[in-house]
Amino acid sequence: MVTATTKGLSRAHEIYADRGRRMRELRKAGKKIIGYICLYPPIEIITAMGMVPFRIFGDMSEPITAADQVSTTVVCPFLRSIIDLGIKGKFDFLDGAVGAHTCDIGMTTIIAWRDYIKDAPFTHLIDVPHTDHAPAVDYFEGQINFFKKHIEELAGEKLAEDKLKKACELHNKQRKLVRDLYDLRKSDTPKLTSMENLEVMVSLFSLPVEEGNELLEEVIKDVKERSIKPSRKKARLMVWGPVFDNTSLYELIESAGADVVVDDTCVGTRAFWADVKAPYDLHALAQRYLVDIKCPRTYRDTQHQEIERDYDKDLDSRFNYIKKAVTDWHVNGVVLQSVKYCDTHGYEVPNLRHYLDTLGIPSIYIEHDYSERSLAPIKTRVEAFVETLG
Amino acid sequence: MEYEASKLFFAGIDIGSTMSKAVVVDDQGTMRGYVVGQTGAEHRRRANRVMEDVLIKSSITLDEVAYIISTGYGRVNVPFADRQVTELTCHAKGVASIFPEVRTAIDIGGQDAKVLKIKNGRLTDFLTNDKCAAGTGRFLEVAAETLGLGLNEMGQISLQSDTPVKINSLCTIFAQQEIISRLSEGQPLPDILAGVYIAVTTRVVKLARQLKVEPPVVFTGGVAKNAGMVKAMEIVLGMPVLIPEEPLITGALGAAILARDEAFKLVQAGHYKMEKKQLSEAYIEFTEKDR
Repeated sequence: MVTATTKGLSRAHEIYADRGRRMRELRKAGKKIIGYICLYPPIEIITAMGMVPFRIFGDMSEPITAADQVSTTVVCPFLRSIIDLGIKGKFDFLDGAVGAHTCDIGMTTIIAWRDYIKDAPFTHLIDVPHTDHAPAVDYFEGQINFFKKHIEELAGEKLAEDKLKKACELHNKQRKLVRDLYDLRKSDTPKLTSMENLEVMVSLFSLPVEEGNELLEEVIKDVKERSIKPSRKKARLMVWGPVFDNTSLYELIESAGADVVVDDTCVGTRAFWADVKAPYDLHALAQRYLVDIKCPRTYRDTQHQEIERDYDKDLDSRFNYIKKAVTDWHVNGVVLQSVKYCDTHGYEVPNLRHYLDTLGIPSIYIEHDYSERSLAPIKTRVEAFVETLG
Repeated sequence: MEYEASKLFFAGIDIGSTMSKAVVVDDQGTMRGYVVGQTGAEHRRRANRVMEDVLIKSSITLDEVAYIISTGYGRVNVPFADRQVTELTCHAKGVASIFPEVRTAIDIGGQDAKVLKIKNGRLTDFLTNDKCAAGTGRFLEVAAETLGLGLNEMGQISLQSDTPVKINSLCTIFAQQEIISRLSEGQPLPDILAGVYIAVTTRVVKLARQLKVEPPVVFTGGVAKNAGMVKAMEIVLGMPVLIPEEPLITGALGAAILARDEAFKLVQAGHYKMEKKQLSEAYIEFTEKDR
């Protein structure tokens, strides 16, 4: 393993600023780098094949200019940003790109990649069903198997069972370490800021799993040793919503006088809360990804065996994991954020707000177009929200 | 001087996108004076000016002001303010101080519109429309310019109409074109104007409905002075609205009352001595540099 010159939070800060740097080094050393979009491609398989999974994000500070040639402005600006960066050659260190039918635009992004982005000649689309019904899990297992065969062709070797088991254990270890890190924000004064936390999360998606685990251990040690200054902030907030891979929103909220202590986004808890369970086979992967990851792209129809639908029970079965986080992290307000045109999250908002109302937790809904400048008009609203909690 | 020297005062300054407002209250929270002026391009100069003016109006000196809160779009440009609070919280406070029973407040400003839900005098929920001029005072200004009418005149003329024309477009620019084409069709002016007011209020009421409109409803902001607008608001909402005597200053009034509450809170906590204002020096220094 290459010894990094910086450690812990300062290393995370460096990686956050240049996500491709470590990937370029690894590629030079002969490693295959496989990019993936959203949370649904099973990265354990990529790791087990001796390749490096790299989560593809957009860039909120880069105006979308090249993507207009291949997609219209009525679709998710996050995914448009990915296409834009790809066309501009920002992912030239990738050997492959894997997408999944997380949502319709998520699927078309990998198709557009194949058609318009020259880098990463290997592409694969994983079909993902949209419910957690048992037959859907079986179907998804078949899709994972299909992906496995394709990547075996690229590697020129078969996926070994013991290697998959080891990869699952390494990724599970990472998930456990992330949960330990989040625990450090349960205290009255969180031991690290949400900006620092996000930089660590983004780094984990930009490093091989072993290096990510090493980074987490360093960060946890650093943060535990910190002496805490008493906080005068009056609100402890949760941020909910689709991908947010930039510290700007967290800066905006924290400068309004609140601490963000926990999140429900796919650059945070959603990515790390669920483990792959033994026996670490493809079925276990299907279960982990389709059922255990809590993203609104999968409808958790837990009432499907009952004849009568009970709205409140249904809400509780969909959102009780949020209730748990609100309790454990002593949250007194939730910021629901969404990127424009995200129908997946948009449909969830009224139900979730209603659920939070029944818990007595105030919430605010804000929408942005995945650019740093679109956050400015949100500032006053976030400040006013924090004032109502004071 | 009208008041005893020992008495202290509190000020709220609301620098809006179009208008700047300042209010002074006494230690009972009773209003002692207010001013309203155009904001213009220079927020800082304007902040100094409204502060000076409101002191003159209230017959007091800055030394007698214990605490100042700034609010509004330009709240960061009030260098002598002790604290900044958003206009949403300030409006809620100001409206509730005039109408303690208020449950819904609709405020239409020069370039934004907001809907506040208030319970027991506290802001509980809100929505704003701050990305688009539709449904704001700017929409009415564009209509007035297009027709060559004064804003008040436009309101008065609209009252003659019983059959408002439909303005379908929600976009300010498209609506302007629509007004012109209705004119060329020969539609009566009062009906067109009434249609303009209905179009603006429909946009804002749509926002309000997302939060459920509960009476009593208070209508504030510069446009609440316009008779045509008030009539349209009551038609679209389907219920009467309450309007403060001076609907422009509720934000500044709320800021002043919050300044009073905050100062008392700090004194109780032992963090603040409510004597001669230390900030006066900073204020004078800034004013002199500015001149």
